[in-house]
Amino acid sequence: MSLKDKYAVVGIGYTPQGRVLDRTALSFHLEAISNAIDDAGLKREDIDGLICYRHFPSLPGENDVTPYLVAHHAGLSPRMMSQEANCARSQLINALGWLDAGLCRNVVISYAHNPLSASGGFFGMGTDNYHNAVYGHFGAPAGYAMAARRAMHTFRTGPDTWKHIAVGQRKWANLNPAAFKHGEPLTFEDYFRTRWITEPFRLSDICLITNGGRACVVTSVERARDLRRPPAVIMGVGEHNPSTDINQSTFMAGPTGAKIAGETAFKMAGIGVTDVDACQIYDCFTYTVEITLQDYGFFKPGEGEDWFKDGTIAPGGRMPVNTSGGQLAEAYYMGLTQLTEAAMQLMGRCGDRQLGPATGTRTPQIILCSDNGNILQTHATTILRRL
Amino acid sequence: MAIEKPVPVPNADDRQFWEACKKHELCVQKCQACGLLRWPPSFLCPQCHGKESQWIPLAGKGKVYTYTVFHRAFHPAFEKDVPYVTAVIALDEGPHLLSNIVGCAPDQVTCDMPVEVVWEDRQGGHSIPKFRPV
Repeated sequence: MSLKDKYAVVGIGYTPQGRVLDRTALSFHLEAISNAIDDAGLKREDIDGLICYRHFPSLPGENDVTPYLVAHHAGLSPRMMSQEANCARSQLINALGWLDAGLCRNVVISYAHNPLSASGGFFGMGTDNYHNAVYGHFGAPAGYAMAARRAMHTFRTGPDTWKHIAVGQRKWANLNPAAFKHGEPLTFEDYFRTRWITEPFRLSDICLITNGGRACVVTSVERARDLRRPPAVIMGVGEHNPSTDINQSTFMAGPTGAKIAGETAFKMAGIGVTDVDACQIYDCFTYTVEITLQDYGFFKPGEGEDWFKDGTIAPGGRMPVNTSGGQLAEAYYMGLTQLTEAAMQLMGRCGDRQLGPATGTRTPQIILCSDNGNILQTHATTILRRL
Repeated sequence: MAIEKPVPVPNADDRQFWEACKKHELCVQKCQACGLLRWPPSFLCPQCHGKESQWIPLAGKGKVYTYTVFHRAFHPAFEKDVPYVTAVIALDEGPHLLSNIVGCAPDQVTCDMPVEVVWEDRQGGHSIPKFRPV
């Protein structure tokens, strides 16, 4: 039976974020979870499912942030619990499965990290494979740069396309006081002035490294009617895991997992891309936004530069994307940056960046979200709507 | 003391590759059942699930499938190499192999550029396959 319109995001948990030092990763999980439960109008005892996104290695002296540890300190003894060991992005779909099977009534999903508190820096992933390390190939920026370079060889794309993404999202961040890059405008000239990291990526193409936590509560639409917030109803979900390591991948320039994941979600929702009012697209890198929207069918390969130009995704644009500033300019919480922003926009709680007349955009009825893990190896799509 | 670059830490699946590298031979597995040449090393043929394979030498020639230029070292042993190029090599026989492009400036590298293997000897008797323009 379809999951369409049966479940909803009903509470969001924020924490202080950005350069918030002297905090453990665990403390951010706990604050986000507590705030999400409270935001939904629920109590600790109502939560019977806990899902944590992947955790990166803990800082010296800190506990490994397992879901057991999180549950213990949050006073939860959930019926169901899980955590992805790597970057697979089934968190929301797992929650829906538990709810639909009748195993849980209210599931909380969380992610938190404190990489800015690390003394030796943080480079994400890719250090665990010696076949990469012997060549000096480390980190997600290098893997995605490989994909972006192949795309530049395959169709018309490159920095002249990606600058629109970096600049457009930064404009949203400047409407979001909580965004890490709030108060730091970015022009095209600034974009081209930022230094190369893993060419063809500049620093401005790469997501932020931030401290903080984010959580949300998922429950049935039926229960949501009695809760505090208007529900952000889940219309469609889909996932695909191409899985092949980027070094052997032949889908670097698409179609990525976004194609099948997107088709699955759109079919469940019974809508098409022309019905979408705004997007929250997983933006580990600027290129990820382009290839995801391309694979979803917003434009054909190589048409991205024309589609993005003239502020398409920025405030006032015809297809707003990453309205919190996204991971490039707000904060990094894996797919929860996108999912929670979509829910907040549909709830109408976004202040200066609220979609609608205040930002010269359509009042959103339907928002499309993506989540993406490892180096384009996993992709999840979620379509939400206002009730 | 200078920080050394990482060396291979061979395991039961890939030991024969690195042993062949010591003799400056680039080898991959060939599935005995369907003939697929596979990389990285693995117990199972991902195409037919054949479990028997044989290590065969390759010519060491191919084309750059894609690449990136590291302008920042993510490991101290590579700081003196910046900017340097890591690349996926589409070997003429089929498999895609991560390596480095050497012997030309980073801005001379292009996708589809023909390359051939060269060997870099490291500590512990290891030899690392790298590629240079033909």
